[in-house]
Amino acid sequence: MTTRELIEKLNLKPLVKFEHREITGVFVSDMLSDVMAGAKSGNLWVTVQTHKSIVPAGNLVDVSAIIITSKKEVPQETIDLAEKHDIGILSSELPTFELVGKLYGLGLVTR
Amino acid sequence: MPACQHAWELTNIKYGFVVFEKCTHCNGLRTYFSHEDHPMIGDTYREDKCSWTCMENAQSIQFDLQCANCGHLEKFQDLMGFLYCTQCLPDCKVELLRKEYELKKSWAIVAFGFLPKNETRPFSPERLQILTDYFNQRRDTSRSTITVLSYDLIEDFSRCKGDFIHDVGMLSLQPQIRKTPF
Repeated sequence: MTTRELIEKLNLKPLVKFEHREITGVFVSDMLSDVMAGAKSGNLWVTVQTHKSIVPAGNLVDVSAIIITSKKEVPQETIDLAEKHDIGILSSELPTFELVGKLYGLGLVTR
Repeated sequence: MPACQHAWELTNIKYGFVVFEKCTHCNGLRTYFSHEDHPMIGDTYREDKCSWTCMENAQSIQFDLQCANCGHLEKFQDLMGFLYCTQCLPDCKVELLRKEYELKKSWAIVAFGFLPKNETRPFSPERLQILTDYFNQRRDTSRSTITVLSYDLIEDFSRCKGDFIHDVGMLSLQPQIRKTPF
């Protein structure tokens, strides 16, 4: 599944323009250190974090996109940095628990 | 026998805290990795004439890299973390290289050692290349690559406003006051 298909299926709101990618799995964490240690290339990263440091962390491990849950407001500096690094940031109205359930239902798992 | 084309993987991952301390007596700075409960910001203790105060602590990891093909272990216990350039100083060597690499769709990050003991012992080009290889071996390099630079390219830490990729101040609901990491 690609990030473009996922946006349509789960009604996600893209906050930046980015090149869509194949999704290899899902990684859920609000800790950058966790992401750096455990996320794999092409993973979707699900978090409530909106600090701009999520962009270099996501870029370093090559995530396919970052999903911000609970409709949290994302600072403009985070959006600007993500656009520059071609990192997709997608907003979801759902809380993390519900969103992860839907991702699992679509066949996306941690890998 | 041909040399091994190393395929690097993370190993010996340890979670803990990077602690930043400053001395009000000698004005020295030091950082270290703590595997135990982290000290509170503002905690102060004496060491001879020095009075060290915890300025910041950040949840982070320590790790080594091991080759999946030949088993060679490269230790990185002296790596404090990675800093990304915020383009604060136009004449900084990191910023000049960052701009150069950006044209080639490569993102520059700075590998930092612990202070002060690593201040005069920057990472060797070979070890920086191993870190660069690790990040690039696990990514889709047709889109972009990572280049790991050494922190000794930063001439004056006190003027650097780069951001560490650490878990610090991440949940603040108020905009943070911009400050230098050191």
